[in-house]
Amino acid sequence: MLKKILNVFTLSLPLSIGAPLIGAPLIGAQLIAVPLIAATLIAATLIAAPFHAMSADLSSVDVASIVKNAEKAAYYSGNDGRSDARMMIVDAQDRKQMRQFTILRRDIEDNGDQQMMVFFSRPADVKDTVFRVEKHVDLTVEDDRWLYLPALDLVKRISSGDKRTSFVGSHFFYEDVSGRAISEDSFELQQETDVAYILKATPKAPDTVEFAHYVVTIDKKTKLPILINFFKADNINYRRVEAVKIEEIQGFPTVVRSKVSDLESGAYTLMEFRNISFDLGLGDDVFSERSLRNPPREWLN
Amino acid sequence: MKFVLSTLTLCVGLSGSVLAQEEPWDMEEWGMEETPSHRFSGFVELASGARLSSDPVINTEKTLADLRAQLQWDKDFDASGIKFTADFYYDGVLDQTKLQVRELVLQGSLNALVDLGDWGKKLDVKVGQQILTWGTGDYVFLNDLFAKDFQSFFAGRDDDYLKAPSFSAKVSGFFDWANVDLVITPKFTPDNYINGDYFSFFSPLAGTNIAPGFDVSSPNKPSSPEYAMRIYKTIGSTEYAGYAYTGAHKSPASFTEFGEPYFSTLRVYGASAITPFANGLLNIEMAYYDSTDDEQGSEPLVPNSQIRWLLGYEQELVKNLTASAQLYVEHTNDFDALRANSLAPEFDPNRSRVLFTQRFMYRVMQQTLTLNAFNFYSTSDEDGYLKLSADYSPVDQWQLSSGFNLFYGKEQFSFFKQFEDASNAFVRFKYYY
Repeated sequence: MLKKILNVFTLSLPLSIGAPLIGAPLIGAQLIAVPLIAATLIAATLIAAPFHAMSADLSSVDVASIVKNAEKAAYYSGNDGRSDARMMIVDAQDRKQMRQFTILRRDIEDNGDQQMMVFFSRPADVKDTVFRVEKHVDLTVEDDRWLYLPALDLVKRISSGDKRTSFVGSHFFYEDVSGRAISEDSFELQQETDVAYILKATPKAPDTVEFAHYVVTIDKKTKLPILINFFKADNINYRRVEAVKIEEIQGFPTVVRSKVSDLESGAYTLMEFRNISFDLGLGDDVFSERSLRNPPREWLN
Repeated sequence: MKFVLSTLTLCVGLSGSVLAQEEPWDMEEWGMEETPSHRFSGFVELASGARLSSDPVINTEKTLADLRAQLQWDKDFDASGIKFTADFYYDGVLDQTKLQVRELVLQGSLNALVDLGDWGKKLDVKVGQQILTWGTGDYVFLNDLFAKDFQSFFAGRDDDYLKAPSFSAKVSGFFDWANVDLVITPKFTPDNYINGDYFSFFSPLAGTNIAPGFDVSSPNKPSSPEYAMRIYKTIGSTEYAGYAYTGAHKSPASFTEFGEPYFSTLRVYGASAITPFANGLLNIEMAYYDSTDDEQGSEPLVPNSQIRWLLGYEQELVKNLTASAQLYVEHTNDFDALRANSLAPEFDPNRSRVLFTQRFMYRVMQQTLTLNAFNFYSTSDEDGYLKLSADYSPVDQWQLSSGFNLFYGKEQFSFFKQFEDASNAFVRFKYYY
């Protein structure tokens, strides 16, 4: 048990910053930064039309506020939230793995620092493992991370690491889960349709990431990022994050199903959120070593 | 366009169901249902290990031969829970069938047991058979005086088994000024130390390795409870802790005047800090081991007091590869008195034992394969211990692990070199049900 988790987390862990799609942390639906999808999908498949309908003057669009609003919609719904989540990891040989966990999230401020706890319940070898993150949006301050390993009763502080490594063996990166800081990329509007903005994001520090740029589709209605395609320098689209299903929960459009695909191998991970609620009044004391060792049952069951 | 828009909105649900035909969104396939209030889980495991060279005082090459079943069960109440973990296994090295209850514990807010109002809200209790760990070291323990199982560690059992259970009561208080843990273990619980059952060890009295497979007889076991305390607080991103322990040395390093091994009394006071530093984590820990049966250091059959220091650093070097290094020093107090009274001066340890550790952990293949190398090397003893392991788990149902435990050095009596004949290779297969 130690192993898998250790592996899983120890080495890398990062949940950190920012937003793949823009976003940040998660909770519920937002765990994934990904967003939305549906709209996009549809837009892409059923509807080619909207894409032709570009706005006359792209330069009049306030890209910075689109990005900021998308980050807020994807990662900062309410002041706090909880969600049950499950992932199915499907490798290139169609072998499947599951992960099931509950997430609690609390915002220090919108588009700002956040606290998060992830309580794993499946599979058996990671059951009762807990992951805690204090996310700092200041790029000069690393996120603080801890892992609780129940078999050893060990609270392990985890060093910061590459945030673009697998989140618990899935095809989601830590950064997809917690959100890549929007300040890490430069955004430019590529296209505007009646339903979406399509932005191209270029990393300010290209040496720190595996992509050369990504293209994100942000749904105008929900403000959620619903599709992100990552490209390498040769313009090959090798990775995709998409929102598959969105529901409105307590007035917040929320991604309840998302998918990330490794387009080179065919492997992918599905993530689904259930039992989502926002604005529970989670206190600062819920996000503590106490909760690592003695889970706050009232918010979990 | 309007039509399109509304289609989009309405289709959110539809798109999910359309996709479901191609992708396994379906609950049945995910095998998940609503979380029940109590749960069973566990695994069965087959493990085998063998010595790399024979040990003249132990007549088997086997170092690990387990057929093991672990059962876990837990039940949650409103503000508390019960957890049970037990291993039932056949140990082929000793030819014994064993039951180890690793956890049978009630945990929760104190108010769940006795209503103390607001005060009780600040207190958690955990009572029963349990595993306990604290401190900042990696495979190196200074202020963690909870029971460890070195026989399992040397034999290549899962790292989970490095810690042994004890029957204890832990009370944790969470206050604005700091958090406090107090652990009482009514019956002294020693380490599962190297006693000759699986691996031989050097006896200064015999001047060679022996494998008596001994147990310490009851009169030589401490009759007092063990008390351990930790006070800790996080300031900014740095975690500080202070520790105290009163009890006894966790392995029988002392001898009575009749030459019988026993656990001499021990008090430990210490402190630690851990903080992010230069893209990694830096930790420092110290402990003063007050060997109260030998305050002057002149009693040759009882260990002297020591000051122990640990400095560690961990960082991810490249994606999925993490490295860490630790410097650990044991400084023996009253060393001159020890030398002056020594019964076997040729086997005396150095005044300071200096140990470096290095760990590399590399995860590959979407984290389904993890490679680990951990090396202890003592510059003062010129000996060491290299632990290599690989764990492979491409699916949730099983895990295959294998590795080596390699002891090396110059002088037969030194800390790690004495276990040279314990060097082994092992393989384990675990299946989760």
